[in-house]
Amino acid sequence: KRSRVADELGIDEEVQVTKRRKPIAKLDDDRLLSQNGIPKLRRIVQEKLKFKGKGHEFSDISRMLNLYQLWLDDLYPRAKFADGLVIIEKLGHSKRMGVMRKEWIKESKIPAGDDRR
Amino acid sequence: AYSGAVDQEVRAYIYSLASALGGTGLDEDGRYALGDDASAVLKDIKRWLKLYDEKLNRYDVARCLAEANVFKGDLLEILSLWPEDDRQGKLMGKMALSCMEIMVPLTWPIEKNEMQMTASHYCHAPYLQLAQIGYKREILEHPSTAILRTAIRIALPSIALPISERSQRDEGIIRLVLYFLRNVAMISAPANLPVEWNENEVSRAATIAAFQAQDVFTLLLTIASNIGEDFNTQDVVVLELLFHIVKGIDAEKLFMEDEELHQKNSKELKGLMLKEAAMLQGYAKNAPTRHNRFGTMIWVKRDNERVSTVSGQDVLMDGQHALSKMDQSKKWNKPKQRKKEQRTTNHFDLPTPLNKNSKKFLRSFVEDFLDSGFNPLFAHLRRAIERDADRVLESHQQQFLYLIGWFLQAERMRKASKKRQLDKQGVLDSVAEVDSYSLVASVLNQETFILLNKQMQEWLDHKQWLELDAAMRCFTQILLTVQEMSLSPIDEDQEIADNIQNRIFYEETTHDRVISILRNYKDQNFSYLDACTDLAHVFLRLLEQYSKGNIDLQVRSRQRARRKKAAKTAESDIQADQQDSEAEDEVDVQRLSKERKFDFKRFAAKFVTQPCVNTFVTFTTYYKDLTDEQLKRAHRYFYRVAFKQEMSVMLLRLDIVSLFYRMIKGPDGMNTASSIFNEWKELAKQVFRKLIKQMQERPGLAVELLFSKLSSTAFYLEHGYEKEAIVST
Repeated sequence: KRSRVADELGIDEEVQVTKRRKPIAKLDDDRLLSQNGIPKLRRIVQEKLKFKGKGHEFSDISRMLNLYQLWLDDLYPRAKFADGLVIIEKLGHSKRMGVMRKEWIKESKIPAGDDRR
Repeated sequence: AYSGAVDQEVRAYIYSLASALGGTGLDEDGRYALGDDASAVLKDIKRWLKLYDEKLNRYDVARCLAEANVFKGDLLEILSLWPEDDRQGKLMGKMALSCMEIMVPLTWPIEKNEMQMTASHYCHAPYLQLAQIGYKREILEHPSTAILRTAIRIALPSIALPISERSQRDEGIIRLVLYFLRNVAMISAPANLPVEWNENEVSRAATIAAFQAQDVFTLLLTIASNIGEDFNTQDVVVLELLFHIVKGIDAEKLFMEDEELHQKNSKELKGLMLKEAAMLQGYAKNAPTRHNRFGTMIWVKRDNERVSTVSGQDVLMDGQHALSKMDQSKKWNKPKQRKKEQRTTNHFDLPTPLNKNSKKFLRSFVEDFLDSGFNPLFAHLRRAIERDADRVLESHQQQFLYLIGWFLQAERMRKASKKRQLDKQGVLDSVAEVDSYSLVASVLNQETFILLNKQMQEWLDHKQWLELDAAMRCFTQILLTVQEMSLSPIDEDQEIADNIQNRIFYEETTHDRVISILRNYKDQNFSYLDACTDLAHVFLRLLEQYSKGNIDLQVRSRQRARRKKAAKTAESDIQADQQDSEAEDEVDVQRLSKERKFDFKRFAAKFVTQPCVNTFVTFTTYYKDLTDEQLKRAHRYFYRVAFKQEMSVMLLRLDIVSLFYRMIKGPDGMNTASSIFNEWKELAKQVFRKLIKQMQERPGLAVELLFSKLSSTAFYLEHGYEKEAIVST
């Protein structure tokens, strides 16, 4: 009788402990939208990126590319720059990102003023 | 499970047949002596091939024959027993024919689609492929006899008969011999199998030299120029034969004089050496100046007081290098989809080199063919394809279009080379010296265009990329030929060219197809990418020219009519059936007559959408391997995107920017010595300047730089203000 109870409770059976693999961090829209993601990018571009302008096109672009590379390295150290760009580009097609992108554009328009047109 | 072993009994049978066939006799000074029942044995072997291999879907008999060395040891020997001057020897002629009937299945290409392949096929195919290369080598290099000429001799009596008197059997013999020649032309060393002898012995050059020496080209010319009169059903075999002779051969180089070619080649060599020197210099610049255990380590300062470490002295020199080294040292790669394996037998995108002699032979053959055989053969073939004749296989359509493209290019190159010759001699080109384009007229008519359009659409719909590749090349060559025609000094040519252009550009479906091919590029091979960008480039350029010259160009548009039709059918659902069909008829009439004025600017706008740009970007990523002409093509396209159509926002994406930057500034950038480099540098500079300006004016771009632009924001980013509320289009 006792053993039946034990059966029902499952005491005698050995509990199988399956080791779960540690999940691999993914570069997804959650990560991209986190504090370290696009918000940070917007901030550092505004603060750090200064262009010298005419005659310095290549050095300007080089600095810009470096900035983006370091940002991406912080955000997702696993991927190489080119691979990371491909992943992010793909993420941009999702609905959620689309909404956010429109939002950012809208935000960025306000300080520029509406005097153009 | 199939062990792969050949049945013992089958093997024993075949071997005994092989030894009964004959052999070299000691008592005959080492010459080959026929066995007593040789002709019956040949028939038996033929029967074995047919009733065992073919019927049971196996390669067992073929394998045994290959292992028993029947091809070289017996068949070729028997053929060489047939003396050249022997005209009466009925018996030997019959024996030769029997040999041919075995040689054709033995040399038949081993290509089956997966549905037909059996375990036996998989087991024996690699061995047989190698054996076939051996067969080809033995045919081309037979020490005593011209095998190919002997083969032709078998067919000669049948060819000599007028077509009305030829029996089924005669026709069969002619076809058999032509298939034999085709097989010989087709066999080539497969890339995935090792070959134990010199590959040159079975190369295209060797084939062409043998074809010239043994009158195969003469036979081809005869058949091609008399097709429709003395020959009828042989057209498709001749087509295949031509295809396998010219595929992959550079028509431009073919029509260069030796001296020019020599100059070009030495220029190429010089260019390559310079390129290599520049490459080595590039390495040397960044190479360590001390031994490899010198052990330098630097910090790259990051924000928030953090640092990354990079080792190696080379990073001391500039920060850029440290960053790229940081990137390179990452171990993870984004997983890529594995590419599907390609069919290998029908491909035409492998460049095939020729040597000096074979170039001369092939060139004279191509010239003769253009002069006499091109028009009759291709007109005949087109009709056969149109009426879906039984003998026309699917692969023939692709070969047909590929060859049209190839020969049109050859004809253009021939004209160009002739002109160069005249210029050299100081003869100013007078109208009398210029040939008209009538030599290739048979493929520049409306029927061919209809066929081409139909095929392209079908292949596009069914995703048959290899075939579509051939069709695109053909279309590009037609466009180029027509363009040259319109520049011809002969009035008639100009008029015809104008007419053709009008007809090509009249159909709006053609325009849409070119665009949809370009925008739907995805993971096809490089040859396809090359062909589709080339087509888009040429099409756009010629259309631009043409629509400038003909301001009131009309196009037949279908889309609007269809919309109207949908509306009408919805309406007429309620009405009676009869009225319904009447309405449909009316719409049909309307659809056919719908024409509207062509607006180039609007059309070109469809070419600068993101998918099209992506295709060209993918093309440009191969920049290290592209020729100057191909780089120019990409350059013109991007120039058009950024400045002619004012959609530079399409290029403002980080991967494109970094690609442009890398091309100009390295590491491993373009060859700075090449002429195209400066144009690219200028383009990159202009794009970057635009980017910098827009980044300053519109901070929203900083994020959008990461993505393909949404259509709603693209206009704002480009111009800095919103589009006026819905302008009716």
